[in-house]
Amino acid sequence: MSFKHNGVDVEDTFAEGFGMWGSRIIITAASERWATTAAGSMTGFATSVIACDCEAGVESSVAPDSTPDGRPGVAVMVYGFSKGKLSESMLSRMGQCVLTCPSTAVFNGLPEEEADEMLDIGKSLRFFGDGYQVKMRMGDGWHQRRRFWRIPVMEGEFLVEEKMGAKKAVAGGNFLVMGETQDAVLRAAEASIDAIHTVPGVVTPFPGGLCRSGSKVGSTYKFLKAATNTPFCPTIKNSVKGSKVPSGANSVIEVVINGLNEASVKRAMGVGVDAATRVPGVTWITAVNFDGKLGKFKMGLRDSLEAI
Amino acid sequence: MDKLVLTPRGFSRVPLEAEVITPDAFAGKSVKEIRALRVHYGNREVEMSEYIHVQGKVADAPVDQLIVVDGDARHIKYIGRGMTAGRIVVQGDAGMHTGSQMSGGDITVAGDAGDWTGAEMRGGLLRVLGDAGNLLGAAYRGSSEGMTGGCIIVNGSAGSEVGSFMRRGMMVVEGATGPFTGVHMNGGEIFVFGPLGRRAGAQAKGNGGFIAALGGAREVLPTYVYEATYAPGFMTLYMRQLAENLGVKHAARYIGEPLRRYRGDMAIGGSAEILVAEKGAP
Repeated sequence: MSFKHNGVDVEDTFAEGFGMWGSRIIITAASERWATTAAGSMTGFATSVIACDCEAGVESSVAPDSTPDGRPGVAVMVYGFSKGKLSESMLSRMGQCVLTCPSTAVFNGLPEEEADEMLDIGKSLRFFGDGYQVKMRMGDGWHQRRRFWRIPVMEGEFLVEEKMGAKKAVAGGNFLVMGETQDAVLRAAEASIDAIHTVPGVVTPFPGGLCRSGSKVGSTYKFLKAATNTPFCPTIKNSVKGSKVPSGANSVIEVVINGLNEASVKRAMGVGVDAATRVPGVTWITAVNFDGKLGKFKMGLRDSLEAI
Repeated sequence: MDKLVLTPRGFSRVPLEAEVITPDAFAGKSVKEIRALRVHYGNREVEMSEYIHVQGKVADAPVDQLIVVDGDARHIKYIGRGMTAGRIVVQGDAGMHTGSQMSGGDITVAGDAGDWTGAEMRGGLLRVLGDAGNLLGAAYRGSSEGMTGGCIIVNGSAGSEVGSFMRRGMMVVEGATGPFTGVHMNGGEIFVFGPLGRRAGAQAKGNGGFIAALGGAREVLPTYVYEATYAPGFMTLYMRQLAENLGVKHAARYIGEPLRRYRGDMAIGGSAEILVAEKGAP
């Protein structure tokens, strides 16, 4: 079953999302260059929990007039399978990639009223100050109460908020863009990513937001728990048993989306599909699911397009 | 808010101790009952109406009560003492202990405020548009903790021992302070935009407490160690808060300004900070 959107066939199926814990932080720095550098470093090697400790990505740039310290900022989101795993990943990545980066500061990007838990990330990171760290209090008894740590570093001082908000989130939102040529599919996928980045509350953890390999659970090798998504590989579509590549499609790229809630992920899928189907050469859109065996979130392509 | 106007019946050299002047004590009562509340005039206990005229509307809850003290209240002590909510506006000078031990709500004094204003304050906002006396937000004698929360802002200058034994909260003096500012301080923040008094931070322990001498300091105790001159990022957060939430517009001018960082009081192994604006450093 399929339906047409912008003249392109869209399979009437769903992306199967699963629960993860997500957090958002705001990294600021003396210039956009260093805020972006820190964010890029922190979100590196965090594409999929298949082989990474977490999934992470840059949500958006934050203008100086919207950051707590009035400097250029970047909103980063990190996802982990549990609160503990998320904390571990955030702590190590913040410690190695942001604390070390010149001029940076880190602020919580998920306020307590929106979070399910507040994680003691800054509180743990403070020990790097080796006893010379300084607790900073704000608003006690008269305004919004906030806590920070000032950690002395060789360049000056690293400022980090004591607690970072985390909440039960949704991972695994996805759709596949298929087309006649590799060039057309790549251009369509790029258009998707540009559109998705206008939706708040989501990240696309893969390189540039795109995953060209896809993945399937298990492989023919006992030692390998995941392998390339053979049913969607066009170059073996007539060799592999049960290929799902439609005739006329010679390239497929997957867009993977994590978000702080199901509605955001669904909306991101919708704007992504809509953007992709406007690019000439795109012939087919579908989504990956496991017949409901992997996760509890079923995000239909039709619903997602209706959500935009 | 329901407004109740209190008009002192003239100035008296004998102090009037009127700690009943709080939204907490007034809310839910009739005007007649409020007039009959007991105050101390010298060594006599009298009805408040004998020295203060009361009229207006009484709120059901303290949070909805506005009290306006209309006139010279220099001789009236303990206005707003221990209040938890609501608002008090003194349209002239206020006597000693104004807002002492308050934990919520806000007080504005249009004129000057006497000694011990905001002493042992726990929460809320206390604003003095004129000058404040000695021991602003300080600990009462024998107490180990002074201010533990809330914010005091003085548009003018303040006397000696400002913020003594301060534990938490914020204090802002736009003018100068007298000697021993932040003495025995163990937390909290004191911002002084005028010249900082001598012997500031004596016996201060630290615990995140600091004094920002943005108008310079006449001296820094020798038991404070000079560390470095830098533009601390955290100061931006405070300066923005001062400008946006407290109306200290010129605070934004200090964002990114280099400060000399002193750490002490080493006489007691403390780790408090005195941050002196480079231009005014000794």
